Amino acid sequence: MTQPQDLPKEAGHRLEELEHGLFTSDLSVNEFLLIKEAGFHPLGFVMGSSIYHTGIQARRWSKSQELTKLTEAMYNARELAMTRMEEEADQLGADGVVGVRLDVNYYEWGRDAAEFIAVGTAVKAEDGTSHRNKLGKPFTSDLSGQDFWTIMQTGYVPQGLVMGTCVFHIAHRGIGQTLGTVGQNVELPNFTQALYEARELAMTRMQDEANTLEATGIVGVRLEEKSHQWGSHTIEFLSLGTAVTKSAGDVTLPKPITVISLDN
Amino acid sequence: MTEPIDLRAEMRLAADSLGKPAHDPPSRAVTSDLSVDEGLLLHSIGWEAVDVVFGASVVSIPPMVWTWGSGEIAPASDAHNQAVRGAAKTLGEQCSHVRGHGVVGVRVEVDVQRHHVDVELTGTAVRPVRGKDPNRAFVSDLSARDFTLLHNAGWAPIGLAFGASFVYAPRRSMGTTMRQSSQNVELTNFTEAMYAAREAGMEHMQRSALDMGAQGIVAVRVSEGPMWFANHAIGFTAWGTAVRLEAESHQYLRPEVILPLDDAVVEFEAQSLR
Repeated sequence: MTQPQDLPKEAGHRLEELEHGLFTSDLSVNEFLLIKEAGFHPLGFVMGSSIYHTGIQARRWSKSQELTKLTEAMYNARELAMTRMEEEADQLGADGVVGVRLDVNYYEWGRDAAEFIAVGTAVKAEDGTSHRNKLGKPFTSDLSGQDFWTIMQTGYVPQGLVMGTCVFHIAHRGIGQTLGTVGQNVELPNFTQALYEARELAMTRMQDEANTLEATGIVGVRLEEKSHQWGSHTIEFLSLGTAVTKSAGDVTLPKPITVISLDN
Repeated sequence: MTEPIDLRAEMRLAADSLGKPAHDPPSRAVTSDLSVDEGLLLHSIGWEAVDVVFGASVVSIPPMVWTWGSGEIAPASDAHNQAVRGAAKTLGEQCSHVRGHGVVGVRVEVDVQRHHVDVELTGTAVRPVRGKDPNRAFVSDLSARDFTLLHNAGWAPIGLAFGASFVYAPRRSMGTTMRQSSQNVELTNFTEAMYAAREAGMEHMQRSALDMGAQGIVAVRVSEGPMWFANHAIGFTAWGTAVRLEAESHQYLRPEVILPLDDAVVEFEAQSLR
């Protein structure tokens, strides 16, 4: 894995300004107020980006297989973007980054190149206690301000955004197979198995990342499937979630008030 | 047969009237594009809507700036920032004319063309009931609802912080492209160009907030993408509402947990393999 080089000097300059008391945040007003309720103060909008050229790997028409080179590229590029975002947060002295979004952009001028970008809001605890994770880095989380407040009420603390990815080529069906099943209700075992395997690989990798953070659970897991620019039979399976650990002993949860809204 | 209309004179009259209050504000009806809920919320903190106000500014971009080059396209960034400042200024002035203290729910429409930048801002002027006339009106793209929430938490919006920057996309030589065609590799010059552009846009935004004496910028939105008329040029804009703590300290709102008993809408979407 390539090491990220230092942040561009433009970033350094912007972050210096932020250290003088101005905060920026892409959180909505609701989220801003809830982050404050949870005992945190926003420090600044942080981001990391990497424009990455993905290589080529030969696929076999009739064989389902993981395309390791593409998996590696997706991992590597996201890791670069995330690490740079964490570096920016670290420079601000943040305890963590909330509301992290990971995006992939394609531009007309770069064939086979995609921009991987991670953005979020760096936050710091108002009472000065450290909320950094087991590795001494700011925690990252894709939870919204609302979810962040709620999870803090339950005594769990986020440790890090964990992800697993797997780029899989799903075999085409042979003509014989297709003709043999015309007019029948049958399961297509090769498709089923390929999709199964790809999803399991992605989820396992995500769990491995959570284990390194000594997390007790992963919340808000999403499983995304995208074909990017590879055609319909090559699919990236990406699972994302926030790894959490239980911090405090007993917590008394507020009993929710039940309501029926009268609007549509 | 009616007299032909002197279009030129009509337009001049219309343009002149923009700069003047139409009537004495207390005697006229209120216009507002706020919803009923928002109106009620404003009243709950002792504020009221005054009038719909509008500000626009068009700034020209010198010819030839979009043709090939490298680095930041400074004339375009400057034109953009100038247009936003101009539109916010006219909006603030109109707001002061109708004796508003600020404008909320501002809709921001920015149109960057090859030869000009067009910025239009529309919002509702608001003021405290029986308040004195302020020195300077604030402009904010927050909704009246968000304004109320912020007000209750002790914060006040002070203005629209805006930043833009435009860059040329770097080019790769034919040789490099060929050599890298089958590799997994980061394109460092592209990464750096995009980074620089984004940081410059956000720094402009921060600077405009600092100039207003802000303590923070909330609800920052970033938009980016190639320009439709020159796809090797990429534009970044970032904007948000600059805020300042007006109360002595942040007022905690202590939300309550509620559980709506409405049925959730279940969505199911199956993907197809072609």
